[in-house]
Amino acid sequence: MSISALVDKALAIFRRDLLTSSRYRGALIFTAIGTLAELAAFYYLARAVGPSFRPEGFDYFSFLLVGTGFYTFLLMGIHSFLQSVQEAQQTGSFEVLMTTETSAPVLLLLTATSACARNLVQLILYVGAGFLIFKPVAPSISISAVLLTFTLSLGIVIAIGFMAAALQVTFQKGSVILWALGSSAWLLTGTLFPISNLPHPLMLAARMIPITHALASMRLALLAGIGLGAVRQEIVTLSVFCAFLLPLGFWAFSYSLHKARQEGTLSNY
Amino acid sequence: MALLGPNASGKTTLLKLIATVLLPDAGTIRVQGHDIRTDMDRARSQVGMAIATERSFFPRLTARENLSFFAALDNVRGPARKQAIELRLAQTGLLDAADTLVMSFSAGMYQRLAIARAVIKNPSVVLLDEPSRSLDPAATEQLWALIRNISAAGAAVLIATHNLEEALALADSIAILRQGKMVEHSELALRHADDLRATYFGLTERRPDEADAFVGTYQ
Repeated sequence: MSISALVDKALAIFRRDLLTSSRYRGALIFTAIGTLAELAAFYYLARAVGPSFRPEGFDYFSFLLVGTGFYTFLLMGIHSFLQSVQEAQQTGSFEVLMTTETSAPVLLLLTATSACARNLVQLILYVGAGFLIFKPVAPSISISAVLLTFTLSLGIVIAIGFMAAALQVTFQKGSVILWALGSSAWLLTGTLFPISNLPHPLMLAARMIPITHALASMRLALLAGIGLGAVRQEIVTLSVFCAFLLPLGFWAFSYSLHKARQEGTLSNY
Repeated sequence: MALLGPNASGKTTLLKLIATVLLPDAGTIRVQGHDIRTDMDRARSQVGMAIATERSFFPRLTARENLSFFAALDNVRGPARKQAIELRLAQTGLLDAADTLVMSFSAGMYQRLAIARAVIKNPSVVLLDEPSRSLDPAATEQLWALIRNISAAGAAVLIATHNLEEALALADSIAILRQGKMVEHSELALRHADDLRATYFGLTERRPDEADAFVGTYQ
């Protein structure tokens, strides 16, 4: 498929999602109210904990702001893969989409990219609003480290997203991967507190989760302004996860589709 | 060509196999020479399929927006996309409703929009699954005229239906399926309506062994 054809399809999917979102205006307002309430809750939590608590050297509100914002972005990115398949199955459009001249992995990737673009806008607004309204400290940003961390984290999202979509196609239960990630990640990924506070076995488990490294790297890049050299270890770890998980996720999704086509379970949900 | 047969006889399954939504356990299907197993993308590019469900559209998009979305996925690009959308909307009588959200469409409008979507890329094979299901007689007549136009334009149209009247009105030939097997295939020009009706009920309402005996008698 040519690049221009891919861009054309991506634009069609962006346009569909933008039009659909704009026609659910109530949801946009409630999302904005919910986001502001969450930011306020974290601000007052940080105040209650007090200024002496500085996890990994950051003030606690900034630590929470970047941690929860980026964590939510990553989880929502994975969820968008699952949601794309789930919604298509439930609305009956999955089989129709499979008859188009766009392969299923490309279609899923473009749909999730559209959702990730929307989530990125939400992330920027969330972190931006947090800094503007509650003014914790002036952020010190390393653009190159932020971009590289973001790109590799997207790779992780795509890989796990494909796996969640494969589980949805095969067992109609892709949500288990999100449930597992969502539940354990609050505990293990250092979203709310540093993983150094965990017992040693849990700390080792935490280091096996790519999101842990994504959050750590993003905090250093966004709040400490540390360049690529200082986040090298996290970048290498994320790269290894990507190299292993991306082919695995893609293979899992392609295989699940092939089996579902053979067994006639493509639109089961 | 009309595919006839009772529920669960395999009509929709056959359409989905041709459209590459399903893969066969055995046997071969070629679309314009392209094997659906080994040359799936090319086979799929030749096929347009209308599935009989209104839920297969995006309800918060208009008819025109829905067609534009699916046309993009089917590689209909640039000015050709706009032309194809307008042409298909006109052919299906949906121009007046083109900018209406499809969530407010009637069953007949959904059926026509599904056919417009199926032919948006100008496929050489068009698969229609129960096209007149839940339509009133006037809407059915309009739909049949549309299907005749698609066929006259050169596409091979395969219709899965329970409706003998529909088969007689639209098809040149019929195949009768029973429990996943074709038990009858003939040119309709050679058949009288009553004869077809008797054949259909003879083949589909008997036990398999009786049907086999009936086919033998008929042949």
